[in-house]
This record gives sequence, C-alpha cells and structure tokens, in this order.
Amino acid sequence: MADQSGKERIPGVPRYRKPKDMPTNGTEPFFPNFLLKEWIVGSVLLVAFILWIVFNPVELAAVADPSDTSFIPVPDWYFLFLYQLLKYIPGDYVWLGTVVIPGIAMTLLALAPWLDRRKARHPFKRPIATGAMIVAVIFMAWLTREAEVQHEAALAKNPPKKKVELPKDTAIVDQADPAAKTFGTSCASCHGAELKGQLGPALLGIGNKYTPEQIEEIIKNGKPPGMPGGLVKGDDAKKLAEWLGKQKQK
Amino acid sequence: MLKKTYDWIDERLGVTPIWRDIADHEVPAHVNPANKMSAFIYCFGGLTFLIITTQIISGMFLAMYYVPDIINAYKSVKYITDEVLLGNIVRGMHFWGASLVIIMMFLHMLRVFFTGSYKAPRELNWVVGVLIFAVVMGFGFTGYLLPWDQKAYWATAVGAKIAGSVPFIGKYIQTLLVGGPDLGALTLTRFFAIHVFFLPAALLVLLGLHFFMIRKQGIAGPL
Repeated sequence: MADQSGKERIPGVPRYRKPKDMPTNGTEPFFPNFLLKEWIVGSVLLVAFILWIVFNPVELAAVADPSDTSFIPVPDWYFLFLYQLLKYIPGDYVWLGTVVIPGIAMTLLALAPWLDRRKARHPFKRPIATGAMIVAVIFMAWLTREAEVQHEAALAKNPPKKKVELPKDTAIVDQADPAAKTFGTSCASCHGAELKGQLGPALLGIGNKYTPEQIEEIIKNGKPPGMPGGLVKGDDAKKLAEWLGKQKQK
Repeated sequence: MLKKTYDWIDERLGVTPIWRDIADHEVPAHVNPANKMSAFIYCFGGLTFLIITTQIISGMFLAMYYVPDIINAYKSVKYITDEVLLGNIVRGMHFWGASLVIIMMFLHMLRVFFTGSYKAPRELNWVVGVLIFAVVMGFGFTGYLLPWDQKAYWATAVGAKIAGSVPFIGKYIQTLLVGGPDLGALTLTRFFAIHVFFLPAALLVLLGLHFFMIRKQGIAGPL
C-alpha cells in the first residue's frame, strides 16, 4: 500500500498529526488542506462552466415528428466517431462496426493493465502503449471531424424544411363538394385529410397561390421532387382543381 | 456545543474511525497543484466527480417539471426553458454538463493511461473506471431522447437501428430498448427509467468502488 499514513496514526488522538521528527517532504493532509486546493481548481471550472451556460443557451428543435423522414439525424458529438466509422463499412458487415471494432477497443482498453505489465510507468519508457493511445485519440478526433464536415455538407445540400405557416383561417371551403371525396382518396395520404400537409405541403389557401388551371397542370404532370402526376385523371382532375382553387384563406 | 454534539453522536455511532478512513490521510506532494502547476492534471478525476455531482443535482431539479410521455415531454422541456425561474440555466447545466463530464472523464482517463497509473496493484480500479466510462456513455445516449424534439428523435432512431444490427441478439436488444417495432411512447418511458433509475444506481455503486479502491491502494507515486 502506497499510503503510509495508516501506520503513523497516533492512537487516541482524534485527528492525524504528523510526528514532530517526520521530514516535511511536501505532503499534506487530505482534509482540509488538499481538498481546499482542489476546490479552488473546481470553483474556477464551475465559474467558467456557468459563464459558458449563460452565453450558450440550449435550443429545443421542433417537436419529434416520426413522419418527417427528411430530417438528417446526427448523434451527440461524443458518438460521432462511432457513427462515422459505420459509414466506411458496407451494409452487410455493419455489425463489424457496431460490435466487433468497438468491442475489441473496449476490451483492449479494459485489459490495458494486463497487456502492459512491465514496471515502467513513464510514457516515454513504454512507447507501444503511449503510441497506441495517441494513434487511437487522433483517429477518433479525425473521425469526429469528418462526421462534422459531412453533416455540414449534407445540411447545406438539403437544408431543413421550414414549417409552412398555416393560414390563420383553416376552414376548408365547400367540404360537401364531390371533389372533396376525390381528395380524400387520392391526395389526403400525403397532404393530410384536413389539407394541413403531412409528407406533402399543406394545401390550405392553395387558391391564393395558383389558379385552378395551374392546379390542374400540377395534378396531371406532378411537381418535383415529391408530387407524382396522374393520380387523378380527366374530369375528376378538373373538378378537384376547381375545388382546390376555391381554397382561399387568409 | 458543536464538539459536544459531535461527541454525543460519535459515542453512539463511532463516526471518527469512519471519517478518518475517508478523509484523514496524507496526500503526496506530486499531486498537489499548489506545489507544482503541472500537477493540475491529477485534478481531472476530482473535477469529473464535481461535474457528475452538478449533473445529479440539476437532474433532480429537472425531474420536478419533466413529464416522460410523448404528449408532455416536449411541452415540459419547453416550459422549463421558457417559464421556470432559472429553468434555462438548470437545463443548460444538465445539457452542457453531459459534454463536460465526458471531456473531463476522457482527460482523466488519458492522464491515468499516460502516467501508467493503472499498473499493479491498481488494475481493478482501471477496469471499474472503464465500466464507469460505459455507464456515462449510456447516460448520454438515453438522455438525448428525453426532450422529445426532432434532433433527439432521429438521433435515437439511428442509435436503435445500430443496436439492432448486432448479430443474433440485435433484435432483442432493440426491442428491449425501444419497446416495440417503432420509436414511441414506450421508448421514451424506457429511456427515462434507464436514465434516472438504472444508470444512476450503477454509477453510484461503481463510483463507490472507484473511491474505495483509491483509498485502499493509494495514489500512484511520482513518475
């Protein structure tokens, strides 16, 4: 045991006292002397931490929406290196990246004391252990950076959809019209039964934006990227377009 | 008065030997930042524990308002952020603290590794430390979902899929975590339970072991 203090305790004395003839070689009692010094370091960290919190308020993204598959997911930064690792492994072998590689890494880490059994402790005297750890840290840092860069690129290419502001007046015009039924069977799965949008955009107030003729064109020919053409044909399309053209909201 | 109270309790409970074992010992010179500035690297472990303590406290305060169901989780987090007195600070502490714990833990681990402090007789403490590392990462993974916003939902969807890719038992792990075929109400309650009951229990036991072993084995000598 490296801790010598147990032997030098004076029985019956309520607190550890250094014997008078013991040389002062820079050691000091844990409590309160050392703890106070550590607390000074701790309070510096806490002040810096609080300042960081005050100037970096946490944001809350939009509420979770399982139907919005266009959201580009990204894990918290400390999982990025794992996440990035998976990108380099082909689909069928993904278990290599999810189980085998992290498993080996964690096992090696846990077994480090048994892999490196020589007495030497100075980092320069055990170049394999030191070198391996430095390489691992650099590799993790590089993976994290790479993940970050690729995520930024993905965001730039495919910016997050802004939620379309729904018009204040969300009443559907002329709901008894037979075209409303056509809408229900052919369009509602994407645009929502109440025209509020789901995968596709909301169609409330679409009449403000397009004339019935333009809407008919869109129904017939589709509209990139998501809207297929020809879901509703002929006369039904015309009637549907007329009905949608009536959807003028504030 | 204070001394009398202490003596009275000590007579009945024998506090002195306990507190001696915990706090009454000499600390070697080479870990004292007051002697040598570079010794501050030995503070990383203590600082990790300090930040873990702030995580526990801020988490307890967040639990006063947080509701772990898919209808109210987002609203309650929004309420904490926008309405509760100092709520944004407490939430900020818990959010940023998660990253800080991981940074400090990582630095502590590197210090122990590079100074070879894991060598005999401290191997077991190193193994416990690696387990603490895994538990803390578990905190990060389960805590991320709780605000139930888009970032949280989709990051966890990816995480659950990764868990599902484990050969043979992946599907079972995924079901255990997610609670069904899709991420939903059960997932949130499960992650909440893991985050506030299972993992804290594991962490406290492991930290207890970690500190017990430091006292038993002492701090490794200077390089």
